[in-house]
Amino acid sequence: MAKKRVMIVGGGLAGLAAAMKLAELGIDVDMMSLTPVKRSHSVCAQGGINACNDQTRQLGDSEWKHLDDTVYGGDFLQHQPPVKEMTDWAPKIIDLMDRLGVTFNRTTEGFIDRRRFGGTLYKRTAFAGATTGQQLLYSLDEQVRRWESEGKVKKYEFWDFLGPVLDENGNCRGCIGQDLVSMEIRAFPADAVVLGTGGCGLIYGRSTMSMVCTGSAASRAFQAGAKYGNGECIQVHPTAIPGADKLRLMSESARGEGGRVWVPRAPQDTRDPKSIPEAERYYFLEERYPEYGNLVPRDIATREIFDICVNEGLSVEQGRQCVYLDLTHIDAQELTRKLGGILAIYEKFQGVDPRFTPMKIFPAVHYSMGGLWADYERTAEGGLQLASPVNQSTNIPNLYAIGECDYQYHGANRLGANSLLSCIFSGLIVAPGIETLFESQKGAAADLDASLFSREVKRHQAEHDALLKRPAGHENPYLIHQELGEVMTKSATVVRRNDQLDAAYATVMELHERAKNCSLSDTGNWTNQNVVFTKALLDMFPLAKAIVKGALQRDECRGAHYKPAFQMPSLKCEDHAGRRREAEQWCDRFDENNKKWLKSTIATWNGNEPDITYEDVDTSLITPRPRLYGLVGAEVIEEVWNERQAKRQAASGDQGNGAKTPVVAGAAS
Amino acid sequence: MADTSHNGHKAPDSFEVRILRQGGPGQNSYWERHRVKHEQDMNVISVLQRIAANAQTVDGKSVAPVAWDCNCLEEVCGACTMVVNGRTRQACTALVDRLLEDNSKEIELQPMTKFPVLRDLMVDRSRMFRSLQKVKAWVPVDGYYDMGPGPKQSREQQEVAYPLSECMSCGCCLEACPQYTKVELTQRDDESDADFQKRKNAAYDSSFIGAAAISQAVLFNSHPTGKNTAGERLDALMDEGGIQVCGNAQNCVAVCPKEIPLTTSIAKAGRATTIHAIKKWFDR
Amino acid sequence: METNPSFLARHEFLIRRLHSLSGLIPVGAYMCIHLLTNASTLDSSATFQRAVYQIHSLGHLLPVVEWVFIFIPILFHAIIGVVIIRGGLPNYGSYKYVNNLRYTLQRATGMIAFVFIMWHVFHMHGWFHFKDWREGIAEPLGGAQFAPYNAASSLGAAMMMWGVLYPILYAIGVLSCVFHLANGIWTMGITWGVWVSPVAQKRADRICAAFGIVLAVVGLSGIGGAVRIGDHGQRYEEAKAVEEKMWDAKIASGEIDPEEGLHKRSDTNDGHASAE
Repeated sequence: MAKKRVMIVGGGLAGLAAAMKLAELGIDVDMMSLTPVKRSHSVCAQGGINACNDQTRQLGDSEWKHLDDTVYGGDFLQHQPPVKEMTDWAPKIIDLMDRLGVTFNRTTEGFIDRRRFGGTLYKRTAFAGATTGQQLLYSLDEQVRRWESEGKVKKYEFWDFLGPVLDENGNCRGCIGQDLVSMEIRAFPADAVVLGTGGCGLIYGRSTMSMVCTGSAASRAFQAGAKYGNGECIQVHPTAIPGADKLRLMSESARGEGGRVWVPRAPQDTRDPKSIPEAERYYFLEERYPEYGNLVPRDIATREIFDICVNEGLSVEQGRQCVYLDLTHIDAQELTRKLGGILAIYEKFQGVDPRFTPMKIFPAVHYSMGGLWADYERTAEGGLQLASPVNQSTNIPNLYAIGECDYQYHGANRLGANSLLSCIFSGLIVAPGIETLFESQKGAAADLDASLFSREVKRHQAEHDALLKRPAGHENPYLIHQELGEVMTKSATVVRRNDQLDAAYATVMELHERAKNCSLSDTGNWTNQNVVFTKALLDMFPLAKAIVKGALQRDECRGAHYKPAFQMPSLKCEDHAGRRREAEQWCDRFDENNKKWLKSTIATWNGNEPDITYEDVDTSLITPRPRLYGLVGAEVIEEVWNERQAKRQAASGDQGNGAKTPVVAGAAS
Repeated sequence: MADTSHNGHKAPDSFEVRILRQGGPGQNSYWERHRVKHEQDMNVISVLQRIAANAQTVDGKSVAPVAWDCNCLEEVCGACTMVVNGRTRQACTALVDRLLEDNSKEIELQPMTKFPVLRDLMVDRSRMFRSLQKVKAWVPVDGYYDMGPGPKQSREQQEVAYPLSECMSCGCCLEACPQYTKVELTQRDDESDADFQKRKNAAYDSSFIGAAAISQAVLFNSHPTGKNTAGERLDALMDEGGIQVCGNAQNCVAVCPKEIPLTTSIAKAGRATTIHAIKKWFDR
Repeated sequence: METNPSFLARHEFLIRRLHSLSGLIPVGAYMCIHLLTNASTLDSSATFQRAVYQIHSLGHLLPVVEWVFIFIPILFHAIIGVVIIRGGLPNYGSYKYVNNLRYTLQRATGMIAFVFIMWHVFHMHGWFHFKDWREGIAEPLGGAQFAPYNAASSLGAAMMMWGVLYPILYAIGVLSCVFHLANGIWTMGITWGVWVSPVAQKRADRICAAFGIVLAVVGLSGIGGAVRIGDHGQRYEEAKAVEEKMWDAKIASGEIDPEEGLHKRSDTNDGHASAE
């Protein structure tokens, strides 16, 4: 019998973590990536990686609080057991990465330094300058290279994942890949296929994502029958640098280190920002959210910046929307030490030194919380069964999803510095599960009848050839991509309205039809980027449809999904009794809304459109509670809410230990 | 700090781009001219994106779009290195207005000259990753189980290590290095992929390893755990094509987009190999 | 397709380090002494002649010393140098940095120095000392002009064989050698890891530059001294006279066997080539 192998698609943090751990377990790994793995999109993560630590612990922090912050930040749309396991592992993951040589910033005494990030009150975030993602990725890349030199890992770089190979029982037995240089299409038999292919930001045209983040691999799995969860939950990062080719991230750490967001009180004040006196500056985040100030969670910061520019007309520039992100009050040397990397990016691309001139920033599409549906096996304590082959598995047997391309960890909104954690965690945890899976599997994929694979190769080859033979003079894929990006950005980002989403869905459907009619400007069969892009474009549509349809149907506000028409209102009464009454109603409405909408959107592909169903969320560990950032009357609502919770808890005779009243019982699996 | 892209002298409506193209390995290269409409905040990537969307030469001839490599567009992935106006750099940080300040007539794009061209501006830099294998650029940990924190390190140590660790294998240092020369092999008809790979690796291993990998060896030799295998890395640096090939032109440090102190690393490796060689000689 | 790496490849590190070392010791060190000795012509012909006698007091050992400590190291340094140059692709045209210019100049001056030294050794010493070669080939071709026991006068005459041509060639050659040594010491310090940080390298840079300038002055002084004697009939005659006196004294004291020492003297009436 041939030896069993795993194919990992995508060599970012998640894929590399999985490869390294699998190799350690003695399992042979193939790794396919669109780009040399060292150039994966994880390098773009700047700010840091969250974990409860010795210092925060003594200030009252715990893994449980990290879990709480994460699910609260995510508006409770994620199953809690995987998150609990992740936050429990977080300190150990920092230790591991430290051992692997990540150049974390240090305190004077030599401990790993921490900074505060959005959505928490604790300094939980370990960081390596302003290139934490790069540093984490490199240390994993190095470990995988070590295994590569020992022959345990074989890399296929500049290869495109064209789709999984499913046998007659619907089990995944490998995948089809295409060499981006020679254009060769071949099959890779594998006993487990792990997708760690990242987000799908390119569906939005310009975003903070890298050029490989088309979502095509996830889409190909989706079209092959994998479920896609919470597609509509797309994080828009509050602070990005506008650019002609992409929107470049300005890390949240700029605010974590004391950066202040403001606009001149006078619209489009043409004075040099540094000459505008304090009194004439509007520090709107600090004024509206006194507790969190500039470090409110991302969705809120984004909405406020959007609001200031679009609704209040206070954009700094006339023709372009942006606000100031100001670091100039901080010592330049300290800025260089802590934020050198990201400040250099701003300076390189804008030609202005942010140490001395306030930066101009605006929100940009940044992260897909949603992704391929993935399962888990829960323990009685509410964590994960560690070696379970169910963890991270999609609904297609033997096909796994990890990292940004799964939907597991971030609910409706991701906390800053949690993505690196979830990527590494999901990569590490998938490995022992696959080891268990292999023990139960009979036979190896490589020993299967070759016709299963050759049939799939033939199918993909035929599709490829047909694309090349398209008559000239039809649609231009690049222009269609531009149109898709425009419609998606307009309708499915910061503020969502059903009329716009409706129209957008129709436009996306139409664009999809037009895209099927694209002609290629390059019909050759050597390093043809034109055909590769066109294929990726075609595969953007199923996900785009899942995003828009999911957003259209979800009539509520949850995390990054913000629909003003369905917003929970502020309290209007002035007197306390009136407020109490309103707060009672408010809480009733909140409970009702949760009953209806505290559910994951699950899309399945029917060949032309996504079908949407809903799945209950395991909130058995922390009871969903309202997010009250900036709401008028928040304190009264909180008072009522807490009274109700106390009553419920008393009624259910809960023993404490954190496990609160379940609102939706039972795990998804 | 003048922001010339927004004010200052007026930008032209359009400009020409001269690109050195090549259909594939072993084929002849040729220059091709394109005219691109000027937009605000353009970089070479956006120029290539416009050309991809509408691949027409200045004479109105439709051609296949130019192939190039890119990913993050933030100068942290290292993918989009090419030779812009005669100088190696990342295309994403090559701002059009700056380039036109130097030469208002045209922008010239060429593939890197030290690596085999795959097509147009796309080259095969796998030799760089092979070099990282050769110097064992990793921390030799026992495994990935929870073993507590890593060794404590001072802020000073971190501040020395961090810049070296920012190397994104972009290849600028090698492109500009007069001692680093191109190694390009062609697969023989009767040769299997595995055999060809073996032959390539042998050729790479015996050619100059270059500043990037030397600096990585220094990085890991300074790590508290990495030190444990310092001798192996030094042996690799003293192999054929090792540090001794360096000619001290110091272009590497001058062109490094991350401003990594490569020549300091080279000198450190020089010292370490000197001591290592003497020790080995007397310990025999 | 196993191919065994060549000897050069297998020992590349050792060979390159020896190449680097040989540039300083003995070749560079010898050059310093040589240039200093030659500069003594500026003091007086006697000083120079004394220095030459000093060297030649090694007697029969001299050729051994010359070959082991001078010629072989120079040949080794030069041949490996050529191999190194062939392995590089200077690119100053594209990357106009000072250190890149120095890299290019190091190679250019190395090549110039090699050619110059070969010619210089022929010009002064004729390469080989056996009589048939010297008289039959070297001397008729304008080589073997230096007579150690008529040191200053024969040097002066040799220098002025073709008017200003030889002094110019010598100046180019000497300056090339000096640059090659001074810059070579700087790169050697990096290669061996003596100066590591950019600050240290900058400091070393200044020291090497100062050393180079001093050595260049010394070297040009030597040429100037030779020209001064060779270009001026009276000084030439005076030098000859001093050399005669010193020769006679050596003979008288028995330090030199006149028979053996004869071939190190100028032929009587040898042409005082330059115009007066």
